Amino acid sequence: MSSTKILIVDDELIMRESLAGWLERDGHYVEKAPSAEKALKKLEDIRFDILLVDIKMEGMSGLELLKQVKENDPDVEVIMITAYGSISTAIEAIKNGAYDYLLKPFDPDELGMLIEKIILHQAQALENLFLKTQYDDRTRFENMVGQSRAMQEIFDLIQDIAPTESTVLINGETGTGKGLAAKAIHTNSPRRDGPFVVINCGAFPEHLLESELFGHQKGAFTDAIATKKGRLELAHGGTLFLDEIGEISMRMQIDLLRLLEDHVFYRVGGTQPIEADFRVIAATNKNLEEAIKQRTFREDIYYRLNVISFTMPRLRDRKEDIPLLSGLFLRHFSQETNKRVDKISREAIDEMMLYEWPGNVRELANAIERAVVVGKSRSIQPEDLPIFHPENIKAAPDDSIKNVERIHIARILNENRWNISRSSEILNIDRSTLYSKIKRYKINKPA
Amino acid sequence: MSDLKKHTIIISPIGNPDTNLLNRVRRAIYNIFGYPTEIIPILDEVDFALDPGRNQYHSTPILDELVRNIPYRAAKVLAIAKVDLFIPILTHVYGEAQLGGKACIISTYRLKESLSPLNSHEVYPCRVIKEAIHELGHTFNLRHCRDRSCIMHYCRTVKDVDRKRNQLCRYCSVLLEDELKRLKNKSRNV
Repeated sequence: MSSTKILIVDDELIMRESLAGWLERDGHYVEKAPSAEKALKKLEDIRFDILLVDIKMEGMSGLELLKQVKENDPDVEVIMITAYGSISTAIEAIKNGAYDYLLKPFDPDELGMLIEKIILHQAQALENLFLKTQYDDRTRFENMVGQSRAMQEIFDLIQDIAPTESTVLINGETGTGKGLAAKAIHTNSPRRDGPFVVINCGAFPEHLLESELFGHQKGAFTDAIATKKGRLELAHGGTLFLDEIGEISMRMQIDLLRLLEDHVFYRVGGTQPIEADFRVIAATNKNLEEAIKQRTFREDIYYRLNVISFTMPRLRDRKEDIPLLSGLFLRHFSQETNKRVDKISREAIDEMMLYEWPGNVRELANAIERAVVVGKSRSIQPEDLPIFHPENIKAAPDDSIKNVERIHIARILNENRWNISRSSEILNIDRSTLYSKIKRYKINKPA
Repeated sequence: MSDLKKHTIIISPIGNPDTNLLNRVRRAIYNIFGYPTEIIPILDEVDFALDPGRNQYHSTPILDELVRNIPYRAAKVLAIAKVDLFIPILTHVYGEAQLGGKACIISTYRLKESLSPLNSHEVYPCRVIKEAIHELGHTFNLRHCRDRSCIMHYCRTVKDVDRKRNQLCRYCSVLLEDELKRLKNKSRNV
């Protein structure tokens, strides 16, 4: 998980450099821009969490930059930097959406506290959005299905490894059913009566993930008003499923290493070691061996996780399961939507067999759901399937870049069943940027 | 030559040194980083860094000057100054370090705040040691740590400094080990 991205905009080199050095030592990712114009250029490529903007600059003023930034992305927080004489402008900046202002030179405490406050606020907003978008995915499709040889092998493997206590690493593309495989291991294991606790490591900023996993003591950080149990404690007696394990920060990997070694951990801010008994299953769509080479994933933790590992087959590698899966999805969605659709035409099946399904089973489910909703007969026809209508969300008469972007993002999200990781991968932007664009463009998940 | 072949950490006092204190800092550095230390005053004075308007010393040019004069055998240099330090955007700093670089500096000026006559003989040296290890930690690529008891925790006040231990937390210990390993491998490959 990446650190907070901060952009410093100041036309004085010495101010930029000294502030950048201080913030980097504080663990933030920092970029610098000598003018508002150059800052806007940087903002086209990178989504920053916080901007520190000098009010008085040559060319475009800090105030004007603030207005443009807020118009493009209201979630970016802007702290204005000002000299003593221009407090009235700073107050005007706050009216225009700046988070706060600092008088030059400022006390390091003031800056530190302000940044901490913003990070916490942004993290909470992100978590709320994540919980909202993930809820549906978690409540759907209890069972794994497949008659293909590839899936039969997976079922056999699950039967073999479920009774053991070994840590399991499940690899596979997004949408292949890694979460279902983890659940199947749990329900076939002696721990079946214990809890199955899921945590999506990619969905939380580092410090929230830490608190989610390990819990925290009252007073451990500013908002820790009460002691809270982490998911590790909740997983006691059961299975802990760490989804998107490839996304965790180096710091969290160190904690996880200790956890995997002796199942002992500390709550954030706690001094008492806590022991919990759980089995760990992890999943990733990343190539962890490649990540080790790039020094973004620790080798020692990889070997701890990789005691037993297997890869979930891609749908395009088990196309013989498409008719069976589509039939199940058809029944599910026709019941859910209360619409009498009970058949998939041979032509529609043929088209589905030809398609590559980059979003795997999840994309197939999405396609059938849409076909059930838009189809006009009791039998699904090829034209009902979204895979034949990639242009189904057309640009409106308003063809501004922003509108085109909004439409494109909505299309990718819908095609990937609102899987944020997969969509952000396809769009080549990070997840927090995608969440922010969803919010900014008010893109709603279809009911 | 790599940092490990350059096997010494230089402690460079600026102004009249307190020998007892410097010896305590030396021991602490050896315990945490495993490097032997030498006490060598590299800079006679730092007037070049004085900002007359603020009556404070700009720490960044001092670091540059330390690097320019660092002995060849030294892996890192820690300067200990008595004057009040600043960087232009901030009112003051307790110290400054080059992240993953060679030089760092601490100021004892504000570490004398809120001392009671009863405990100053023990509390003050502890503060100096903690800040010295903290800034040196940055030169070994360690960033600020959220663990309030860790020596790499960023302290807002001297009270925060007093509260933290003079040890790295387990995360930062592992990260330091990694960095030391990396430096060792780099030295082998040279």
